[in-house]
Amino acid sequence: MSFDLNFIGILIGAIMASSVPLILAASGELITERSGVLNLGVEGMMIIGAISGFALMVVTDNLFFAVIGSMFSGLIISLIFGLLTQSLLTNHVATGLALTIFGIGMSAMIGKNFVGIPGKEFPLLFPNLKESIPFLGPIFFGHSIILYFAFGLPFLTNYFLKKTKTGLIVRAVGDSPTSASNQGINVTLVRYSCILYGGAMCGLAGAYLSLIYTPQWIENMTGGRGWIALALVVFATWSPIKVLIGALIFGGITILQLHMQAVGLRIPVQLLSALPYIMTIIVLVIISRDSRKIKLNTPTSLGQIFYKEK
Amino acid sequence: MNTKLKVSEISKIYPGCIANDKVSLEFGSGKIYALLGENGAGKSTLVKILSGVVKPDKGEVFLNDESIKLNSPLDAKKNNIGMVFQHFNLFETLSVFENLSIDSDKKDEDIRLLVNDILQKYNFKIDLDIPVLNLSAGQKQKVEIIRCLIRNPKVLIMDEPTSVLTEQETDDLFISLKQFSKDGILIIYITHKLKEVLSLCDEVAVMRKGKVVSVSNTIDEKIESLANKMVGENLNTIKKKINNFKNSQEILKITNLNFKSDDPYETNLNNLNLSLKKGECLGIAGISGNGQNELFQILSGEIITEGTSIMFRNKEIGKLNPRERREYLMAFSPEDRISQAAVPELKIYENVALNNFKSSNFFEKGLVNEKKIKEHSKKILSNFSVNTNNVELKSQFLSGGNLQKLIIGRELITSPELLVCFNPTWGLDVGAINYIHETLIQINEQGKSSILISTDNDELLKLSDRICVIYKGKLSKIMNADTVTAEKLGILMGGGSID
Repeated sequence: MSFDLNFIGILIGAIMASSVPLILAASGELITERSGVLNLGVEGMMIIGAISGFALMVVTDNLFFAVIGSMFSGLIISLIFGLLTQSLLTNHVATGLALTIFGIGMSAMIGKNFVGIPGKEFPLLFPNLKESIPFLGPIFFGHSIILYFAFGLPFLTNYFLKKTKTGLIVRAVGDSPTSASNQGINVTLVRYSCILYGGAMCGLAGAYLSLIYTPQWIENMTGGRGWIALALVVFATWSPIKVLIGALIFGGITILQLHMQAVGLRIPVQLLSALPYIMTIIVLVIISRDSRKIKLNTPTSLGQIFYKEK
Repeated sequence: MNTKLKVSEISKIYPGCIANDKVSLEFGSGKIYALLGENGAGKSTLVKILSGVVKPDKGEVFLNDESIKLNSPLDAKKNNIGMVFQHFNLFETLSVFENLSIDSDKKDEDIRLLVNDILQKYNFKIDLDIPVLNLSAGQKQKVEIIRCLIRNPKVLIMDEPTSVLTEQETDDLFISLKQFSKDGILIIYITHKLKEVLSLCDEVAVMRKGKVVSVSNTIDEKIESLANKMVGENLNTIKKKINNFKNSQEILKITNLNFKSDDPYETNLNNLNLSLKKGECLGIAGISGNGQNELFQILSGEIITEGTSIMFRNKEIGKLNPRERREYLMAFSPEDRISQAAVPELKIYENVALNNFKSSNFFEKGLVNEKKIKEHSKKILSNFSVNTNNVELKSQFLSGGNLQKLIIGRELITSPELLVCFNPTWGLDVGAINYIHETLIQINEQGKSSILISTDNDELLKLSDRICVIYKGKLSKIMNADTVTAEKLGILMGGGSID
C-alpha cells in the first residue's frame, strides 16, 4: 500500500462519498423520530428514491428532474406511512416494515426495464481544484452538490432542533404529544410534516446511489443502507452531529476494509466485511454513553400512537 | 376588570357513562370557586370542556355574557382561559424556558422579561434553563401556572393541584391563588379534598354522577356536610387504635440499605435502616420522587442491592426475587395499578394467576388449571367486595377502586405476614378509600404487619402505628404516630428538621 499524501486525500474523498446516503437518510429519519414517529421504512423509501431517480433520468434525460423526482417519490411513499400511522392509527413498527418490503418489491418491478442502462455523468464541482491541490483537493473538491448538502445537513438539523421555534415544537411533540395537543399544537400536522421530510431525504439518499455513487440501476442496490441509517439514529442517540460521525466511521471502515481485502491481509474476508458494523456501533456507544444526555435527547413518545380526545 | 363565566346545560355522554348531565354553573371574578366531587363525578370532563380539550354534546359556555366556542385548546387560550392539569402538561426533556415559550408568538427576550416579572411578583424561585425533569412536583406546577399567567388569564382552572404537593407547598399555592384572585382572575378549583375547599374557597359546587347536586357558600358548610353531599350517603369515620409494639416480635429488619442509580429519573437511597414488629403498621411519608419508588422496588425484590441485609422472619431475603419473597409470605401492592400491579389487557382470573405460588397449584405440568384459578378469583371478588363476579372481565374495565380491591385481595387471600403497599388509595373516591383503609386496619388487628408508603398524610396518620419521612433518599427517625402531626410531617417532607 502506498502512503503518499494525495492517495490518502483521495481515500478520504471516497469515504465521504460513501457516507452521503447514510447521512441523508439518517438525518431525515432523525427528524421523523424526534417527532415521536418510528418509521422503519427507510430502506424501502431509499430504494424507491433510487429507482425513480434513475428512471426519471433515463426518461427525461434531465438530472435536475431526476433528483427532485426522487425526493418527491420518497415523500409520496412516506405519505402512505403517514396516512396509515397518523390517520388510521396503525402500529408504527409493522407499518414501517411493510413499507420496506413494499418499496423493495415495487422498485424491482419498476426497475426491470432499466437494468443494464448506463447512467449519466453527474456534474462534479471544481474538478480542476481537485487535481491541482494535493491532499486537500480530493477532500474538498470534485464532489457533487448533493455531497456538500449532505455534509451541511447535520449542522442545519442541529440548528433547527436546538435554535428554532419549529424545532422546539417538533421536540415537544416527540416528548409528549398529549401535552403538545393540550397546548394547541396540531400534533398530527407536525408528525405528518416530519414523516414527509424524512421520506424526501430518504428518496434523495436513494437517488445519490443510483445517479452518482454507482450510476446505474441494480435490483436491491441500497443493500441494507437504510437499516444502517436507522441504527445510526438510535446509536447516535438522536444527535445529528453524532449521526455524521457514525456515518463517516461506517463509510470509512467500509472503504478501508475493501482496501485491506485488496492488499490481501491474512484476515478472514467475512470478518473484514463485518468490521464497519461492529466498529460503528462500538464507537457510537462509547461517545454517547452519558445517560443524562440520552434521556434528554430521546423522544419519549417514540413509536407511540397518538389519540386525540374528542 | 370583572369577569363572568357561565356554563349552561352542558351535557357530555361517553359510551356507558354520562359524564356531564345538564350542568349549569355561574362564576364571577373576585371569588375562588370549588368544584367538588368524587372520581368519576364529572369534574374533570367539565374542566376539559372549559379548556377546549373535549367538546360537549350539548350546552353552551358564556364569557361575560357572550357565547364562546371552545373547539380546541387554542380557543380556550384566545378567550384567556388558563388551565393547570392534574397530570402536568409539561415537556419533561425540554428546559423550563422552552416549556414556557413554546406556545407564544412573542420574542424570546420579551417572554424572559415577562416571566422574570411574574417570578418576582409572586415570589417564585425557578431556574429557567434546566430541564423540567429535574424539578420537584411543586416547581413543575409553578411552571404550569406561569405558563398560564404569561397569557393574562381571565379564568384560571386548577385541576386537583395539591395531590402532588407537600403541606408547605400547598400553603404557598393557596397564598398565590388568593393573590391571583385579588388581581381579578376568576379561579375555579377542582378537588376532592374537603379541607381545602373550606380553607381556600368562597363558593362550592358539588358534583355527583355527572350532575351538580348543590351550590353553596363555604361558610355555611362543614366537612361532614360536604362529604355527605359528595358521596350521597352518610359515611362512618374510621380511626385506628394506635398500639405500642415495643415488646413484640421483630418481623422485618433492614440494615444498611444503599442504592445508587445511573438513571437521572431515579433517586439514590442512602443508608436506610428500619425494623418492623409483628402486627405493626409503619407509615413512610414523603413527596413523590424522594425515593419511594426505589424503596418499594427494593422491598419487593424488583431491585436487588448489594451489601444490603433484609431479614424477614429471621431469614435473609435480600437476594430473593419477588416471587421467592411471596413464598416467604410477603405481599406487595405497587403504586401503579395499571402497569405494575395488573395487566389491563388480561382477564381478572389471568391477573390473579400471575401471582401464583408453588403451593397454589395454578399450573400443573406447565398447563394452566383454569378451573382452580377461576374458583380462587371468585373467592377474591366476593371476599373483597369487588363490584363484579365476572372473572372473565378484562381488568382494564374495572374502576380504580375495584381494581385496587382486586389487587389487595389477590395479595391478602394468601394470608401474608407482611403487606407492603405504595399509595394504595391514590386517585380513589371516598367510598373505596374507606374500604381499603378498613382492610388495612383489619390485617394489623389479625397480627399481620404492613408498610404503608404514601404521599397522603391524612391516610398515614389514620393507619400507621409509627411514621417516618423519606426525603431525598434518606429516612427521618421513626416516630410514634400519636406524637406526629400533619405539620411535623410537612416540615420533614420539605427537608426541614424538627426538635
